[in-house]
Amino acid sequence: MKKQLIMLRVNGESCELAVEPQRTLLEVLREDLGLTGAKEACGTGECGACTVLIDGKPILSCLTLAIEAQGKEITTIEGLAKAGELHPLQKAFIQYGAIQCGYCTSGMILNAKSILDENPTPSRDEILKGLEGNLCRCTGYNKILEAVMAASIGKD
Amino acid sequence: MRIPKFEYFCPSSIEEGCSLLYKHQTEAKILAGGTDLFVKMKKKEILPKVIISLKGIQKLDRIEWDDRLGLRIGPLVTHEALVNHPIVREKFDFLSEACFKIGTRQVRNMGTLVGNLCNASPSSDASAPLLVLEANLKLVHLYGERVVSLEEFFIGPFQTILDPQEILIEIQIPKPARYTAGSYQYLHKASSVGETLVGAAVLLTMDQKDSSCQEVRIGLSSAAPTPIRAMAAERRLKGKRMDGKIVREVAQVASDEIQPRSRPWYRREMTKVLVERAILQAMEKIR
Repeated sequence: MKKQLIMLRVNGESCELAVEPQRTLLEVLREDLGLTGAKEACGTGECGACTVLIDGKPILSCLTLAIEAQGKEITTIEGLAKAGELHPLQKAFIQYGAIQCGYCTSGMILNAKSILDENPTPSRDEILKGLEGNLCRCTGYNKILEAVMAASIGKD
Repeated sequence: MRIPKFEYFCPSSIEEGCSLLYKHQTEAKILAGGTDLFVKMKKKEILPKVIISLKGIQKLDRIEWDDRLGLRIGPLVTHEALVNHPIVREKFDFLSEACFKIGTRQVRNMGTLVGNLCNASPSSDASAPLLVLEANLKLVHLYGERVVSLEEFFIGPFQTILDPQEILIEIQIPKPARYTAGSYQYLHKASSVGETLVGAAVLLTMDQKDSSCQEVRIGLSSAAPTPIRAMAAERRLKGKRMDGKIVREVAQVASDEIQPRSRPWYRREMTKVLVERAILQAMEKIR
């Protein structure tokens, strides 16, 4: 199929790309833009490893066409640290040991960010419900939950 | 997993969309949220040559409330939008709750209610509340339109009456009567996506003075090849004075009339429990 010229805005920067319509946002982020923070695991929308934010909302980049992400603000894990300073959630994940293999982490942190942006002081249950679409196969969820709770209290 | 190749169109009007669909018919699929469509395409269960995206038609993203006409929901309205919409939360709380149950946060941000109906899964959560609300669906094609009830829309597991050249353009939900309340109760599998094992929706109109049932509708998901109404159970309750005994009886009738595709014993038992809970909760809300 013919490639289409599209303009994506990723982590505050605009970039022009030629993509075929069937290519997912995940593929374009990883393969064309070198942003490999978002991962592919299930590929079918169940695991959340490919989660990125579009206009602040968590979505599955493995089921989103890159051409349909035009004109929107895309945030990946690479865009969270500001001027070399990690985001409070990133710091909390390190501090609480909420990372083991790291495969789920970028999706987990981005979804957690959107939860805290919507409600800076969510309850434990609200965080659990919010993160139900992000699967972790290593650490179990307690440390992740603790990290998000810590970030929610100490949020700046 | 990659999505197989296709030709992509993003029409800017409904007419243009209908015209494209008329031209490509069975070779084309309509794209709204993509959470079902792209999974099926990745698994090569369907291989449309053409994808017609509705995303370029902005007015399809609307939720509209009219005191006379009721609620209208466009095909780009996501589950998350329905979870958060103040009028939906106020007047159709149990529909909003059913939408909150669907998928995950990410899926709710992408998947649309109309897309969910078109997928026609027997376990579709929102279908049970929409059935009891007697929702109608507006289907358009290049040369006209028709309005069908949700009940006649489903014809089998993952099958609808939608013609290849038709687009489901609007869900229409009539305004509920006074002294009416609804409830949605469910159980789900312990999997990542938590597919519903049984979902029971009840819409009840009850006389506040003598607690008699003036109108009741019972809708069930995951209890038959399509989401269904439990008509025999409804007939048993209508006109009766509501108490614990009649509610248990009605739940038993509902349980007897379901046609589960699998796990029949468990689904019957749970239908009984969930229908009873849903009726009791609706009664509680009216009082």
